[in-house]
Amino acid sequence: MEIGGSSESPSEAKKSKAKTPRKPKESSSSLKQKSPAEFFAENKNIAGFDNPGKSLYTTVRELVENSLDSAESISELPVVEITIEEIGKSKFNSMIGLVDRERIDEALYDDYETEKAREKRLAKEARAQEIQAKNISLGKKVKEPQSARAIKGRVLSGTKYGLKQTRGKFGLGAKMALIWSKMSTGLPIEISSSMKGQNYLSFCRLDIDIHRNIPHVHAHEKRDNKERWHGAEIQVVIEGNWTTYRSKILHYMRQMAVISPYAQFLFKFVSDASDKTVTIRFARRTDVMPPVPLETKHHPSSVDLLLIKRLIAETSKQNLLQFLQHEFVNIGKSYADRLIGEMGPNFSPKMAVKSLTSQQIVRIHQLFRQAKFDDPSGDCLSPAGEYNLRLGIIKELHPDMVATYSGSAQVFEGHPFIVEAGVSVGGKDVKQGLNIFRFANRIPLLFEQGADVVTRTALKRINWSNYKINQTQDKIGVFVSIVSTKIPFKGTGKEYIGDDITEIASAVKCCVQLKSKIVKKMQAREQQERKRNLSKYIPDVTGAVYDVLKGMAQLHASKKKRFEAEDAELLGKVSARVVTKETLMEKLAQYVEQVDYEMALEYATQSGVSEEPRESIFLQSLEAEDQYVDLHNPIFVFRLFR
Amino acid sequence: MADKRKRRRPDLSSDDDGEVHIPFKNRLKPDAAIIKTLEGITASLRSSSSSSSKTLTLNDLSLANACREVTDLSLASVQCSIESLVLSIARSILAGEGFSFSVPSRGAANQLYVPELDRIVLKDKSSLRPYANISTVRKTSITTRILQLVHQLCLKNIHVTKRDLFYTDVKLFQDQTQSDTVLDDVSCMLGCTRSSLNVIAAEKGVVVGRLIFSDNGDMIDCTKMGMGGKAIPPNIDRVGDMQSDALFILLVEKDAAYIRLAEDRFYNRFPCIIVTAKGQPDVATRLFLRKMKMELKLPVLALMDSDPYGLKILSVYGCGSKNMSYDSANLTTPDIKWLGIRPSDLDKYKIPEQCRLPMTEQDIKTGKDLLEEDFVKKNPGWVEELTLMVKTKKKAEIQALSSFGFQYLSEVYLPLKLQQQDWL
Repeated sequence: MEIGGSSESPSEAKKSKAKTPRKPKESSSSLKQKSPAEFFAENKNIAGFDNPGKSLYTTVRELVENSLDSAESISELPVVEITIEEIGKSKFNSMIGLVDRERIDEALYDDYETEKAREKRLAKEARAQEIQAKNISLGKKVKEPQSARAIKGRVLSGTKYGLKQTRGKFGLGAKMALIWSKMSTGLPIEISSSMKGQNYLSFCRLDIDIHRNIPHVHAHEKRDNKERWHGAEIQVVIEGNWTTYRSKILHYMRQMAVISPYAQFLFKFVSDASDKTVTIRFARRTDVMPPVPLETKHHPSSVDLLLIKRLIAETSKQNLLQFLQHEFVNIGKSYADRLIGEMGPNFSPKMAVKSLTSQQIVRIHQLFRQAKFDDPSGDCLSPAGEYNLRLGIIKELHPDMVATYSGSAQVFEGHPFIVEAGVSVGGKDVKQGLNIFRFANRIPLLFEQGADVVTRTALKRINWSNYKINQTQDKIGVFVSIVSTKIPFKGTGKEYIGDDITEIASAVKCCVQLKSKIVKKMQAREQQERKRNLSKYIPDVTGAVYDVLKGMAQLHASKKKRFEAEDAELLGKVSARVVTKETLMEKLAQYVEQVDYEMALEYATQSGVSEEPRESIFLQSLEAEDQYVDLHNPIFVFRLFR
Repeated sequence: MADKRKRRRPDLSSDDDGEVHIPFKNRLKPDAAIIKTLEGITASLRSSSSSSSKTLTLNDLSLANACREVTDLSLASVQCSIESLVLSIARSILAGEGFSFSVPSRGAANQLYVPELDRIVLKDKSSLRPYANISTVRKTSITTRILQLVHQLCLKNIHVTKRDLFYTDVKLFQDQTQSDTVLDDVSCMLGCTRSSLNVIAAEKGVVVGRLIFSDNGDMIDCTKMGMGGKAIPPNIDRVGDMQSDALFILLVEKDAAYIRLAEDRFYNRFPCIIVTAKGQPDVATRLFLRKMKMELKLPVLALMDSDPYGLKILSVYGCGSKNMSYDSANLTTPDIKWLGIRPSDLDKYKIPEQCRLPMTEQDIKTGKDLLEEDFVKKNPGWVEELTLMVKTKKKAEIQALSSFGFQYLSEVYLPLKLQQQDWL
């Protein structure tokens, strides 16, 4: 059921069977320019809006990631509430003021069979609670409501536009959701936001003008904020399909909770049918947030011709030497001098950078490709952190054992990347075999798993039996998080990282460093379970031995077969029931006890008391009043709790 | 036999004026001429084998390493060895010392290829399998249980299959590979063949052609077994009285080619015995092939796929598998000739490109590994063929010949091969 229509006057909305709102046909004869918004409207699949189910999923994830970004950019602990409300056909029609008419000719409708494709209302709240800091407003959406409109309503004009580790895929995020809502339901989105301490809410209802690529504001007003609520809330009505993508969305939420244990999520699905309603809370477990990723300058080996031209156009530096020195990382003054010398006689350090000809720029580009530069540092990246990854895994999976590892920064095509990995064994709600959790720039990747570098490495290049892990029977969780200023995604959907990039493949494989940790843990587990495992087979073994003895004793007694000396004596005891199965069991159990004791002793003397570095545990009193004194220093802050 | 060949003639001549051109058909000599040369070869083989009085055994060679070989033991002696083993275990347990088995190691490191015998034998390394060790407790328990089950078989004097054995205690064994492996360990430990334990594998191999033998007292004529042939009996000790007027034994890798040859009654055109184990050979087929070779003194010609696995299967017939190397003396058939399909045949018989498959990385690796194996190295012809295969990176199945017609294999390819005595 698709409803298209001009959004300005929803009451005039018509029922139409076209998938998209009617395209302007009037100007088909003249050459016309497409706005980016139009382009994406026509190529929805690139941004993940292939079908109603995927659209719902993409909308949820884009909004969740946006809110996490906003909260993190102002160093607030994120509290994200997602509510998906199912709106049936008649309710939707009444919302847009359309009389729900009975169908007379059923065959007229496309959706005759697919009643399930129903509208969903998606209300999402991103609220930051318990804010301690006072000087910060709540993210871009709230800081200046004016700019909020500009961003949300214009495609390809995201605020994320430097070289920086970002969550978003194309700098689109919520804007695609906006286009989708416009295309599928025609209802505008509603945004209300308030900063902490503000006594009003700023409310905004807007939609996008697809042709002109500008926001169209219906209402913009200040409202009372009696409860002193602060944060941002976005409400968008889209066409979606909950049934088909239910598990994907829930997986997404769970994996998000794994990678960001510092955030609190409340996920609700509300439906008229009460049995379908879902409410899941992912609690916060830490207040340690990864640092905000820093914006960095470009690395010379990562730039292309266009980028150099843009940098030249934008630079404030006058001459070539300064330009090279200040607009790129890893080029010092003397190195810039050497580079200019290498460029040829037409170049000089003092020449005006804006006067460079196209050929000269090509020469610079070539040199950048060929010359050797130091690798960019990973300082600008913000990995999830070993601690957070571990906490997230423990929090969501409750595994029997977990080992984590954080690699150092490495480089692919001038972009630094960091790989972090975790392996868990056992746990709740984990299926047998390998469970692979992939994260790129701290967002979960759910689709196109098969070709991904992580999946392939885990399945093919790692010999799990080396870790004393049974690949088919144990519940194994593999968590790999890659952060980079540019993730080398493959495919249009940006859902997987190619297996052909050896740098990343070997970095992922390097997580073999986990081996010693895992083996140690497995040994410790073995210690605990040794006695149980050894005792488990006692009945089998003694039963078998006794059975043979009994058979022999009978032969011996009936004189069918003769046994000599001590053999005969033993068989005699069996016949006389002096030696029974129980005797054997008892003796063997005693022996196992003794061996277990000896081995435990040996293990203790070998490994010592502290077998691995202690890990600090953060215990947070969530509700308690904060009473502390901060002792500031340029490098660190001591916080004394009272 | 003669009348049967006459019956076939009209078919052949009708093919000859055929509208369809079949490659190399015209090069074929009349069947009688081919048979005559084959008779010569078989006769010379018989005379040479009768002159070399006795096959070599391990004891005849003074090898540096001590080697382990098993023999057929009577049921009573198997029972005796189990009983003395169990008695020592019981005493050890009662003395409060736990217990352990000393199991001959069957790993790759403990294998030795003996060129004089042309087969793999097991060296004498063995490992201790103590009960009170977390890594061996399972295997030790399974070993004990298998010993008890075999003891029961001895008492009752019956045969069971490996599957039967597994199902007596599924909970302990978990899957059949575990009980199967331990069964081999047990026969190695007791120094007897697996058949002496009264445990047999399900029937897998089939035989058809000019062979008459007795199975448990019944005389079987393999020319009168219909198209499918006779299943090779799992208990070789019940097989005897082999008689044949065949000139050679044709060993076929796969079922598909076997069915083709059986249906065309290839063994009537050229007197032969056709055997297949449908892939990797089981113990019964290997025992049977050896018995035929030893008693009938016929040349064995192998028809395999032109891929590394074909050669691997051939090597199992010829030199034994690593898993069962402790019994290689009874299981291997010496002097098997590689008839085809060899990598060089692909070009020689102009097999069209679309029937050749590119080798996968795994295939190539297997091929290269095979080149390192001693049993390949000893035959320069095989090395040459295998090198060619790895170089061209192409493989082909026997069925690739069907591109010239389904019966090309039986009507042109094999006769031509026999006529040219083109085997290695």
